[in-house]
Amino acid sequence: MDQKLISPVAQSSPPKKALDISWLDIGAGLALIAVFALVAMNIHSNMVAAGIQPGFSFLTQQAGFDLSESLIPYGASDSYLRAILAGLANTIAVAAASLVVACASGLLVGLLSVSAQAPARLLALGYVELFRNLPKILVLLVIFVAAVNGLPAVRQAITFGPLTISNRAIYLPWLSDDPRNSRWLLASLVAVPAASALWLRRVARRQAQTGVRGTAWPVVIAIAIVVPTALAFVLKAPLVLSWPKLEGFSVGGGVAFSIQFCTVAIALGLYHGAQIAEVLRGGIRAVPAGQIEAAAALGLKRGRITRLIVLPQVLRIIIPPLNNQFVNLLKNTSISIAVGYSDLMSVAGTTINQTFRPLETMLITMSIYLALCLVLAGTLNHWSARIRAREGRGTR
Amino acid sequence: MNVDVALSGRPHSKAQARWGRLPALGPSTLLSLACVALVLYIGWITLDWLLLSAVPPWANAEFCGTASGACWPFWVEKTRFILFGTYPFDLQWRPMVVCMLLLTLSMATGQMAVCGRWVDVRLLVGSWVAGMIASFVLMAGGVAGLAPVDATRWNGLPILLILSTIALALALPVGVLLALARYQTRHRFMRRAAAAYVEIMRGMPMVTLLFVGVFVLPLTLPKGMAIDPIVAVLIALVFFHAAYFAEDVRSGLLSLPPGQHEAASSLGLGFWQTARLVLLPQAIERSMPALVNSTIGAYKDTSLVVILGLHDLSATARMAFSDVAWGNQALEAYVFVGLWFLLSCSYLSWIGRRLSASATTRAH
Repeated sequence: MDQKLISPVAQSSPPKKALDISWLDIGAGLALIAVFALVAMNIHSNMVAAGIQPGFSFLTQQAGFDLSESLIPYGASDSYLRAILAGLANTIAVAAASLVVACASGLLVGLLSVSAQAPARLLALGYVELFRNLPKILVLLVIFVAAVNGLPAVRQAITFGPLTISNRAIYLPWLSDDPRNSRWLLASLVAVPAASALWLRRVARRQAQTGVRGTAWPVVIAIAIVVPTALAFVLKAPLVLSWPKLEGFSVGGGVAFSIQFCTVAIALGLYHGAQIAEVLRGGIRAVPAGQIEAAAALGLKRGRITRLIVLPQVLRIIIPPLNNQFVNLLKNTSISIAVGYSDLMSVAGTTINQTFRPLETMLITMSIYLALCLVLAGTLNHWSARIRAREGRGTR
Repeated sequence: MNVDVALSGRPHSKAQARWGRLPALGPSTLLSLACVALVLYIGWITLDWLLLSAVPPWANAEFCGTASGACWPFWVEKTRFILFGTYPFDLQWRPMVVCMLLLTLSMATGQMAVCGRWVDVRLLVGSWVAGMIASFVLMAGGVAGLAPVDATRWNGLPILLILSTIALALALPVGVLLALARYQTRHRFMRRAAAAYVEIMRGMPMVTLLFVGVFVLPLTLPKGMAIDPIVAVLIALVFFHAAYFAEDVRSGLLSLPPGQHEAASSLGLGFWQTARLVLLPQAIERSMPALVNSTIGAYKDTSLVVILGLHDLSATARMAFSDVAWGNQALEAYVFVGLWFLLSCSYLSWIGRRLSASATTRAH
C-alpha cells in the first residue's frame, strides 16, 4: 500500500557502503533456521510415531467422504485433491453470491444513509450499527437457525413465483439438462461481454478522436438481447426451462441452492453490506458541496449531476476501501464451515480428521487462500488503478 | 477506516439535500413514508415480541411453547448458564471474578486512551501480566486451595474475554516489534522477514490460523508435551492479531515527519532509544483510531473459536437452547449474546470515535 513512501530513516541514513553486513540480520536468520529445523524435527518424529510418513502423496488417495454439494463433479470415490478443488469451487461460488448481496444491500443502505429524509437515515443507521457491532459468525448462526426452523420441510415446500422454498434448499427453474443449452449459455457468457467491450472501446476511441459522444449503452443492451437470440438459433438450443417439482421426499428439476449456501451468502452479504454502506456514505460525503451546487447552478439535472459530477469523485474515494472489503469477504467465506457448507475450509477440516495430516492439509489450504487473496487484490488494484486514472482525466 | 468522525447525518447544503433525494426510489415523500412505516413496523414487532406477546419472567415456563413472543423465564433460568456454561456450579464465582478482572483492566486501559493520560507504562504492563496470570490460576485452580477445573469446562464469557483481551494485550507488543522491524532499513533481512510475515498473515482467514493452532501446533512440540486447545488458540490469535497491529503502528510510524528521527539521531540516541522515546509514543498516538478499529474486529472475530469446539458465548447459547426440557428458544439465546456484543462493541466504537475526534482537533 505504502510502497512508494520511503521511510524517513532511509532518507536520513548515510550513503551505503559497498559491504554492509548486519550481524543482527545474520543472527536473526540463524535463529529462524534453528527454530524451523527444531520444529521440522519434532513434526517428523511426532508423525512417524503416529505411523504416518510426511508428504503429499495422500492427495491422490480416495477421499471417501461426500460433500453436501459441489459445482464440479465429485463423489466419495474421488481423490483428496479433487475434494479440495471442489471445496475451492464452492468457496468461490459462495463468495460471488455474497458479493452480489453485499453490493446490493450496501448500495441501497448507503444511498438511504445520505438521503435528505430523516426516517431513511435512521433506518440506514440502525442497519449499519446492528451489523457492524455483531460478530459475523453470530449473524450466520442466527440466520441459519431461523431458516432451518422457520422454513417448511421439503414435503411442504412453498412456491413463491418461480421460487420453491424449503428448509433444505431453495429451487429455481433452470435450463433443461441438454448439452446444447449449456453450450449456448457458455457461448453467450463469452460473446456478450466481449462484443460489448469491443463496442464501448470503439465509442470511447471515437469520442477521444472527434469529441462526438456516440451511443454506448443502448447498443450494449441491444447486443445483450440480439447476440444470445442469434446464438440460440445457430446452436439450435431448445431453451426449455426445467421447473422444480416435488417428487416423493425431494425436489427434482430446476437448480437447487442449498440452505447452507443461501444462509452464508445472505449473512456475509448483509454483514459486508453494512461495511460497504459506510464506505459509500463516506465517499458521497467527501464530495464537496460546492461541486453539486456548481453543477446545479449550471442547470444540470439530478441524474446528470449524479453521473457526471458525483459518481466519478465518489468512485475515486471508495474504490480502495471497497477492494479491501471484497478481499475480506473472500476470506470470511471460511466461516461457512460453522453451518456445514462444503467450502475449502470445511473440506480441509474433514481431510485433517480422516488422514491426520494437519500440516500438509493446512499448508495447501493456506496457500490456496493466500493465492486467492493475492490474485483478487492484484486484479482489483490493477482494475481500479485504471478506473481512477480514467476518472481523474475526466474530472481534471 | 471504519471508525470515522461521527457525522450528524445531515446533508451539508441545500443543493446536496436536493440531490440526495434519490430519484431511483420515487418521490421523496413516498420514500419517507415507506421508511417511517418500516421503522414503525420493526419497532412494533420488537415491542410485541419482547413485551406484549411475551411470557413474563414470573410465569410458568410451560407457556413458552405456545406463546409467540419472548420467553422471559428462559432468560431468568439460563442467563447464568450462557455466561459460565458447564463450569462447576458452586465454583462459578471464579469465572465471574476473572470476567470482572479482565473487564476492569480493559475498561481502565480504554479510559486512559480516551483521556490521553496514561499511568506509568511499567504499572500498566505489570497489572496486565498479573491479571493474565490471575485469570488462568482462577480458571484452572489446583493451587492455593482452589479445586482444579478441567479446561473443557471453561465456557462462555470468560473464554471470550480471555481469548480476546489477553490475546490482544499480548499481540500489541509483538505487533510493535514487527512494525519497527519493517520500518527500519538497516537490517534488510529482518525488514523483509517482517514484511513477508505481515502480508502472509493478512492474506489468510483467521479460521485457518485457528486450525493451525489447534492441529499443527501440538505436532511441533517435543514428544510427550501436550498443549491445551485454549492455549493453542490463544497463541494462534496472538500471532494473527499481531500482523494487523503491526500495520496500524507502521502507518503511524510512516506518518511521522523525518525530522523526528533525524533530531533524535543528532542528539546521539541509539535506535532503541529513538524508537522508545521519540518514535513510538507519537506513532502509537497517531495510530490509535486504527488500533481501536483492529481491536473491535479482533474482538468480534474471537467468537470464531466456536468452529474449533471452544465454547464461547455463542456456543453456550446453543447449548442453552438445545436443552430438551425447554422448547426451541434459539432466538432468545442469540438475542442475549447479540446484546452483549452490541453493548461491548458500542463501547469500543465510542472510544474509537472519541480518539479520531481528538486526532482531528489536534490536526487543525
